[in-house]
Amino acid sequence: MSPVITGASAITSVGTNVDEFFSALCSGNTGLHELRGFDKGHFRATHAYEIDDRPAQGVDVPGRASKWLSEAIAQAVAQAGIGEDLSDVPVLIGTGLRELRSLELWWRGGGTLTEDDLHFGPVLRERFGVTDTHTFSNACSASVYALAMGADLLATGQADTVIVAGVDVLTESMHGLLERVHPSPPERVRPFDRNRTGVLMGDGAAAVVLRTTSPGALGALRAVGVNCDAYHATAPDAAGIAAAMREAHRLAGVKPADVDLVMMHGTGTLLNDEVEAIATREVFADWVDVPLMTAIKSMTGHTSGASGLLNLVSALQSFATGRVPVTVGLVEPVAEASSFRLVTGETEHADIAVAQINAFGFGGINAVAIVEATTQREVSS
Amino acid sequence: MRTKVATPPSVAVTGTGVVLPGASNASALLADPPQSAEPVDPAALVGRKGLRYKDRATRLAYCAADVALRDAGLTAERGLAVDSDTVGVVASSNFGNVDTVVSVLDTIHAETVAGTSPMDLPNASSNVIASSVAIRFGLRGPNLMVCNGATGGLDAVRWAVTMIATGRVERVLVVGTEPATEPVRRILHGGRPLDGAAALVVESSQSVAERGVPAQAWLGHFVRTASLVECVLQLAEADRGTQPSSWQVPPGGAPGDLLPGVPRIDLTSSWGQCSGALGVLQCAAAVGWFSDHDTGTVYATAGTPAESTAGLALTGGAT
Repeated sequence: MSPVITGASAITSVGTNVDEFFSALCSGNTGLHELRGFDKGHFRATHAYEIDDRPAQGVDVPGRASKWLSEAIAQAVAQAGIGEDLSDVPVLIGTGLRELRSLELWWRGGGTLTEDDLHFGPVLRERFGVTDTHTFSNACSASVYALAMGADLLATGQADTVIVAGVDVLTESMHGLLERVHPSPPERVRPFDRNRTGVLMGDGAAAVVLRTTSPGALGALRAVGVNCDAYHATAPDAAGIAAAMREAHRLAGVKPADVDLVMMHGTGTLLNDEVEAIATREVFADWVDVPLMTAIKSMTGHTSGASGLLNLVSALQSFATGRVPVTVGLVEPVAEASSFRLVTGETEHADIAVAQINAFGFGGINAVAIVEATTQREVSS
Repeated sequence: MRTKVATPPSVAVTGTGVVLPGASNASALLADPPQSAEPVDPAALVGRKGLRYKDRATRLAYCAADVALRDAGLTAERGLAVDSDTVGVVASSNFGNVDTVVSVLDTIHAETVAGTSPMDLPNASSNVIASSVAIRFGLRGPNLMVCNGATGGLDAVRWAVTMIATGRVERVLVVGTEPATEPVRRILHGGRPLDGAAALVVESSQSVAERGVPAQAWLGHFVRTASLVECVLQLAEADRGTQPSSWQVPPGGAPGDLLPGVPRIDLTSSWGQCSGALGVLQCAAAVGWFSDHDTGTVYATAGTPAESTAGLALTGGAT
């Protein structure tokens, strides 16, 4: 039996709950804005996709990752109806940058910091009574890697309910270094477009409640495949990505022809989109024009460790509503993706029963999840 | 409250690497550290190639990983003795990339982003240790970076065991590493940080039998509890009340009336504040203990009262 998802949340620059988030995605709204919490004068890239919660323009505060993580968990457990006492529930958090923004602010003279402020355990113990938390710092595939570990906890009988979450907020060091490697500073995220110029970061948090069994689920987690390219510190490898997709399909017992929707990693960098497209073409082969594909980072920015789970929550909403968000800014697809059914122009309407979630991170760490609808969707007009 | 005690799968430690100032094997962890020892020089241990642009934590991890993989008989004349996708990596570190983050930040504030080096990009992501080790040794299995505070090292071992139990991977290189650098000293408010790394190869009993390698220790029950007392009680319950032969206590020790008469070992009093590396060092020290004591169980415990305590029971390879 596949574990089921009984609660979900999504918090991004385009909305701070699932309904706001998904309706913004379906409307093609983006969270792109001038940098809100940093001194713009330090950077060439002056825009990002941040949640608007700073006290004033250019003023940042510590603890934002913990704050939005806690909010995401609270929303997901509320939907799952399991209450906020999580003393018996393991919580697994995937993050690229943990509380490194708090470290940065402390280093520049703001506030205090101890060794226990870099990860999320103490905050979640205080708020929810959690005693079994795990902060996985697995770059941009972190929350889908955490999902794999959550599934393994259930499979080995270590728990019957697990919360898997993802969170990241901008750090100056990562925002700066990401733009540094682009020839010209990116102005927006345009996944799979020939004229894309690179990636910009976004703030994001998401959580799901995973249970061995429960009625009224939002979807079932068929499997997660994880691996490592062992190839390059930042450049992806099509062979490793293809292997992770095949592993997910094998573990889930699905074939490429069964997949209705692929939530692409789609960061808008020159290399990721090309390599992801090559691997997708290789794995899906004759069926590459079957599934719909979309890349929501075009609206949320690259939310790093949170991005995979945000893709998953979007897919759950597609199960429920039959709507698939558009890839904003995608006008002319790259040659490698020319035969894909990438959603452009406007939101698609389709029955989605099986979705694939892609998440790839620095160092070639790949995670691919297969989720399945558990109920017929409501009939929409 | 308690996390369910998992039924222990049959997973053994088959390779151990210890790289500390004044200690280069598992048994040395249990001896008094030398009065003065030079910091570990990674270039002298694994050569200069590939060390440039890497944080100290990653360099130290390379050294410990190299020893553990050799110790487990997993290295061949060229590359690995087993398929590359049968070996995963789980690394634990809390301070691993702190140096890069703060130095890049200072550069951005002093010179704008134009002053930064693109070579720092991979180090800005905290998973750089786990992925760098995978790249250096060609390990294509699951790759996990644990940044989980005081329990991180024992948690890393638990995830390795869990992934072996579900069949994701046959064997996992577990690495714990922490650097003693200026930013870390500041985070520890002047405390003495560890400057070293430890690594373990853990693998399924089936893989142990197939490869015909000796088990240095067997990994037993894991628990995660709100307090140290609960942790020890649950380990004892899972082990049907058998007294451990030694107990690795968290930094600062443990209440005197808990497990009376059982020898206590606090690695942090000898080697500094071990943070995310502690649990991996504890497992390595248990291997050292078993090499000098034939039988028995060792408890490894780590954590803080403000968060939780992780516990693991290890038994000797001969049992």
